[in-house]
Amino acid sequence: MITIQKLTAGYGKLEILQDLSLTFAERQFSAVLGPNGSGKSTLMKAIMNLNTVFGGSIQLKDRELIGEPTEAISRLGIAYVPQRENIFAELSVLENLQLGARVLPKRERPTALKALQEIFPILGRRSAQQAVTLSGGEHQMLAIAIAWLSKPTIMLLDEPSAGLAPAIATEVFRVLQALRQQGMTLIVVEQNARRVLQYCDYAFVLREGMLVFQGSAKDCLRDQETIKGYLGVH
Amino acid sequence: MPPALLTTSLVNTIQIGSLYALMALGITLTFSVMKLPNFAHAEYATAGAYAALIVSLSGALNPLVIMIAAFFVGALSALISHLAVFKPLEGRDVSFYTLILASFAVGLIIRYILFTMADYFNLFDLRIAIPLRVLFRDGYLILSNLFAWVAPTSLVLVFILTLLLNRSPLGREMRALADNINLARVIGIPVERVKNYTWLLVGGLAGVAGALWGLQTAVHPLMGWVAIISVFAAAILGGLSSFSGTILGAYVVAFSENTVILFLNVNYGVDLAYKPAIPFIIIIVVLLFRPQGLTKLIRRAGDLGR
Repeated sequence: MITIQKLTAGYGKLEILQDLSLTFAERQFSAVLGPNGSGKSTLMKAIMNLNTVFGGSIQLKDRELIGEPTEAISRLGIAYVPQRENIFAELSVLENLQLGARVLPKRERPTALKALQEIFPILGRRSAQQAVTLSGGEHQMLAIAIAWLSKPTIMLLDEPSAGLAPAIATEVFRVLQALRQQGMTLIVVEQNARRVLQYCDYAFVLREGMLVFQGSAKDCLRDQETIKGYLGVH
Repeated sequence: MPPALLTTSLVNTIQIGSLYALMALGITLTFSVMKLPNFAHAEYATAGAYAALIVSLSGALNPLVIMIAAFFVGALSALISHLAVFKPLEGRDVSFYTLILASFAVGLIIRYILFTMADYFNLFDLRIAIPLRVLFRDGYLILSNLFAWVAPTSLVLVFILTLLLNRSPLGREMRALADNINLARVIGIPVERVKNYTWLLVGGLAGVAGALWGLQTAVHPLMGWVAIISVFAAAILGGLSSFSGTILGAYVVAFSENTVILFLNVNYGVDLAYKPAIPFIIIIVVLLFRPQGLTKLIRRAGDLGR
């Protein structure tokens, strides 16, 4: 569970999130929605300490994360899949996976790499390839796989379906749903609200750095006004 | 060109090229992992050479002991320059140019510390005191036990370094940092620790290169500085990113400085005094026409060297 209270965060001197308070429940697939510039990615980066936090608190089960180095946050079981540059492009697929598994104790690594094959069968067949040569969908799967291999309890994903063909985006969300069924807490930032609402449990809608709506995915889908008003989709 | 001259120049190419490779790989590695073209790299070599000289003067004539001392001192000077100068500057988010200038300054400081020391103890132009033995002699061509040390040691170290980078977990993490440092942080790679190891490694290799250099010529506070432009030319031929390109680049530069200039001298009367201009010409030509270096050429030829 991640509890965020009165968080003000942004980049350099620019404040994007204003006094934001919300709670991501355990073992839930939460979506953070909102138009461009609403502060969705800023929120994820603030959790990982990758930008500037001006005030407030971010707690993982009573443990304050603000001020912790990114590496330490990752070791607490929070994995983050950035939107861009989320793989080691020059390295082979296998090397990417080995780096993902490096935080595990040595004897657990082979099992983890094997288990990976079941969730991401395509990556096994591509293991010798240089990661930069993967297709868009495979690339995204690799990014998710790197994060998954560290056996996180919480996974943050920044627009995992961006730039993917609809069928492949669906494939990505199916994988995320499978991870959620394994008991992982998922927090996904998305612009394409309609699709993610079909898979997630709960949704938060941000606008200009503030929380304007939260509720179950069903409520959010039912409440057409919310979708139109806040997200601008038709 | 007389065959004896040609052979001698080719032997020099191998010898000097191996030393350039050892130093240039460090430049390429620093640039890839730290995003820093480090001109102080020259002085890690000089510091290593002085360490080797002092150890040899103190009576330890085992080449292995001498090389280990050189590695240690080179590694330490690199790590200290990182911790004392480069790391604090990176923390302040300074520009790329500030870092380059800082690297010149670090080099200058180390160089003049060595000058002061050399002056005080009168350690100018001394050769590392390993006894010379002639192994092979044929007309002009003389191969000594130093040749048997310099080229093979460099080649073995270059081989070990490539193996370390491509096969070991630490090497994988170094390449991960070079590729995408933010992602490396995100997935929990101890970035600062990997950087420290990288500095120790590049400094140590430069130190050994300096010691090997001091074996075949003489140790002087300016020796690294004199070689640094050639070494940078080699690294730039490697696009400052490719290890195989850098190794090849080192031999191309050494070949140009030894064999090509001799060929031009014998056949066209070009003065040998133009030799120092060669690395500059290589740098300018590469940056103008092939700033990515030899990498792509090598890949096209089927060698998937990184």
